[in-house]
Amino acid sequence: MKGKYLVSIFLAAALAAGALTGCGGPSAAGASAAEGPAQGADTVVIAMDPNSEPAAGFDPAFGWGAGEHVHEPLIQSTLTVTNTDLTIGYDLATDYAVSGDGLTWTVHIREDAVFTDGESLTAADVAFTYNTVKSSSSVNDFTMLDVAEAADDTTVVFHMTRPFSIWPYTMAIVGIVPEHAYDPATYGANPIGSGRYELVQWDRGQQVILEANPDYYGEAPEIQRVVILFMEEDAAFLAAQAGQVDVAYTSATYSDQTIDGYTLAAYDSVDNRGFNLPAVPAGTDSRGRAVGNDFTADVRVRRAINIGIDRQEMIDHVLNGHGSPAYSVCDNLPWYNPASEVSYDPEGAAALLDEAGWLLGDDGYRYKDGIRAELDLLYSTGDSVRQALCADFAGQLEELGIACTLEGVGWDTAYDQALSQPLIWGWGAHTPMELYNLYHTIGDTGSAQYSPYANPAVDRYMDQALASTDLEASYELWQLAQWDGTTGVTQEGDIPWVWLVNVDHLYWVRDGLRIAEQKIHPHGHGWSIVNNVDRWSWELPAENP
Amino acid sequence: MRTWNRRQRTLCLLLLTAVILLAVTVSGALLTDRATETDFAHTNLAPSLDRLFGTDWLGRDMLARTLAGLSLSIRIGALTACVSAVIALALGVAAALNRRADAVLSWLIDLFLGIPHILLVMLISLACGRGFLGVVAGVSLSHWPSLARLVREEVLQLRQAPYLLAAEKLGVPRGQLVRRHLLPHLLPQFLTGLILQFPHAILHEASVTFLGFGLSSEQPAIGVILSESMQYLTTGRWWLALFPGAALVGVVLLFAGLGEQVRRLLDPSSVHQ
Repeated sequence: MKGKYLVSIFLAAALAAGALTGCGGPSAAGASAAEGPAQGADTVVIAMDPNSEPAAGFDPAFGWGAGEHVHEPLIQSTLTVTNTDLTIGYDLATDYAVSGDGLTWTVHIREDAVFTDGESLTAADVAFTYNTVKSSSSVNDFTMLDVAEAADDTTVVFHMTRPFSIWPYTMAIVGIVPEHAYDPATYGANPIGSGRYELVQWDRGQQVILEANPDYYGEAPEIQRVVILFMEEDAAFLAAQAGQVDVAYTSATYSDQTIDGYTLAAYDSVDNRGFNLPAVPAGTDSRGRAVGNDFTADVRVRRAINIGIDRQEMIDHVLNGHGSPAYSVCDNLPWYNPASEVSYDPEGAAALLDEAGWLLGDDGYRYKDGIRAELDLLYSTGDSVRQALCADFAGQLEELGIACTLEGVGWDTAYDQALSQPLIWGWGAHTPMELYNLYHTIGDTGSAQYSPYANPAVDRYMDQALASTDLEASYELWQLAQWDGTTGVTQEGDIPWVWLVNVDHLYWVRDGLRIAEQKIHPHGHGWSIVNNVDRWSWELPAENP
Repeated sequence: MRTWNRRQRTLCLLLLTAVILLAVTVSGALLTDRATETDFAHTNLAPSLDRLFGTDWLGRDMLARTLAGLSLSIRIGALTACVSAVIALALGVAAALNRRADAVLSWLIDLFLGIPHILLVMLISLACGRGFLGVVAGVSLSHWPSLARLVREEVLQLRQAPYLLAAEKLGVPRGQLVRRHLLPHLLPQFLTGLILQFPHAILHEASVTFLGFGLSSEQPAIGVILSESMQYLTTGRWWLALFPGAALVGVVLLFAGLGEQVRRLLDPSSVHQ
C-alpha cells in the first residue's frame, strides 16, 4: 500500500529529526572532524551537487567544461584561460592574432604538451577538437566557426563564418582531445588529455577520482589526488559533520549552522537571480504562444520595479546575508557597465507608477482604468532559494501596490510562460555572449530570445562588439550596449530585466586547507570551485609539537 | 442514568468524526490566504504558544499551512472519491448486466490492479499536465477497480435472488429493475466503499504531490509541505515534518473510522446491534 510508503517516510524523517535535536549539534561530530584531512595531506575530498556529475562523461563535445555551467576542464588543456579578473591568459596557446576582417584567427601553441598516453599534442589535435565540437556539440553554439585547420605542428587557423571578437572566451572552455584516440562512444568515460589531472576512477552516481598528471607541462600540482563525491545538500552537510570530506558545498539554508573544524567559506559570484519583464503589450506569436504583458509593457512600470526593490533586505532575509545586490547579468566583469547600479527608492517608484497612471485604490492596490496592477510571478519548482526570492519580491511589490501571485513551474513549460509573465532566472557566465543572448534580437523574430524585447541601438553596439578585432576595446562596446548615455537596458533605458542578487557560493572548508584565490564564480554551484585545485595546499600543525 | 446502545454510540461517534473533519475542511479553506503569506521577520521559528506548529523558511505559519493542506487534501479526496465511486458503480452494474461488457471490464480491472497504484497515478497526472487536474484525474481514474469488482460481484449475486428473478419474469423493464431493485441493495456497500476511498485518495494525492508529480509547489498541499520539510530535517527543524505528517495520519485514521461506523449503521448484519 502506497499510503504506508508515505507514512514510513514521514516516520523515518521524524526519527531522524528527533535524533538530531536530541543529541545536539557539534558534540557528536566534533571529535572526528578535527583530525585533519579526510584522506591524507596530498589529497582533497570534495562533496559536490549530484547535478554536477557530467552525464555524458568528460568529453568537451558533450558539455564537459563547456556546457551550461562553465569551468576549466582539468583533464584536458585549453588554448586560453580566464584570469582571476576575467581577462584572457594562455594555457596551450603562446599567442593569438585575428585578421582585420575578424574572420581568421591564428593561434600558436606550445610544443611540449603531451597527452597522458605519451603522444604529443599538435595543432592537428586542436583543429580536430574544434571541428568535432562544431559538428557534435549539443550544448554550445559553434555556428560562428567555419572550419579549423592546422597550418603546421604548432599553428592552428580558425576560419570563421562571422566576426566573433570574444572567441578567446570560447577557447578558454574547449578542452583539447587527442585525434588518434578519440571515439565519441568511449571517450567520455576514458578521457585522455594533457591537463593537470588524469581521471583514474569514475563510479557513476558516486565519485570521481583525479590524480595529478606526472607529465604535465606546467607547474606540477600541489594536490596530488582530488576525490569528488556527489551527494545531496543534506548528505554533504552530514558528511562534513562526520569529517569525511574536506570541502562540502552548502547553501544559505545551512549557513546558520556551525561544524567543528570547518569554516563557512563564501565566494563571490555572478550567479545572479533576476526577473524578466516582458517589454511588449500582450498578444500572441506565430506559434500561438502568449507573448507580452500589458502591465510591464510600460517602461515606467519596469523602472518603478527596478528601484522599488530593496535588494539588501532580500539578501538578509533569503540568503542570510550571503550575497550581493545585482544590477546586471554581468556585475563586476570586465564588460560590466557600472551605470547599471541603482539605489532603493520606494517614493521614486511610487511616483513613477502614479505617472504611468496606476493609482492607489482604497484596498492598497493600484488601478488604471478599473484594471488592477497584477503580476503572476513564476519560479522553477524545487528550488527553495528561488521560491523564497520570488516570495520576497512579491512581498515588496505588494507594498508598491502591485498584486502578485506565485506559481511554481517546471522547465518544460517555463520558457514559453516567461514570454508573457516574469520568471525568476539564474544567469552569470564568463563571456559577454550572455548579454547578447538576453538582449539581442534573435533571427528574424525581431525580439530577444527569453523575454520579448528589442532595441536597435543595443543590437548595433553588440554587433559592433562582436565585429571588433580588439578584445580589450570590445569591452567598451559591450558596456555601451548596456547604457550609452541615452539608451540601453539600465534604469534610465528600457530595463527589460530586473536583477536582484548575486548568490554567494558557500562551502564548508576544513580548517588547514588553503583554497587558492577564486575567480568570480559563474552560474552553477559545481566544478568552478576546483578550477585551481592544483594550487590548493594544506597547512597542518606539526605532528609532535 | 440511561445507557446508550451500540447503535447510538456509533451514531454519536460518527457525528463527532464528521464534525471534526468538516471543521478542518472549513477552517483550512478559510486559512488558505494565511497559509501562503510570507513573513521574513519570523522565519524558522520553533513551535511556541504564539505559533503552535512553528514557521518555515519563508516565515509561513505552519498551523495555517497544515490546516489549509489538509483541507485541500480532503476536498480533493472528496472529489476524487466521488468520481471514482460513481465510475465503479456504473461499470460494476453494467458488467453484471451484460456479458460482453463484463469480459471487457474484468480485463480492465485486472489490468489496472496489475499496475502499481502510485505509478499509475503519476503517469495519469503527468499526462494531464500535473496540477489540480492531473491529481484529480490520476487519483479518480486509478481508484475505481476494487470497488467496481465488489459492485459487480454483488450484482451478480443479486441477479440470482428470487425477487429479482420474479420481477424479471413479470416483465419489469431493465431500467426500472436496476433503479428500483438493484441500486437500493447496493447502497450500503457503495456508501462504505465511497468513504473508505477517502483515505486512499488523500494519501495518494499527498504522495504523488510529495514526489513532485502532483500539485504545484506554491499551493499549500500536505505533500508539498512534507517534501519541503525534507530539506530542513538535517538542520534540526523537526516541526516542519512532524506536525503536518501527524495531522495527515490523524485525518486518514478519522476517515477510516468514519467508514467503519457508516458500515455498522448500514450493514444489515450489524444494524440491530
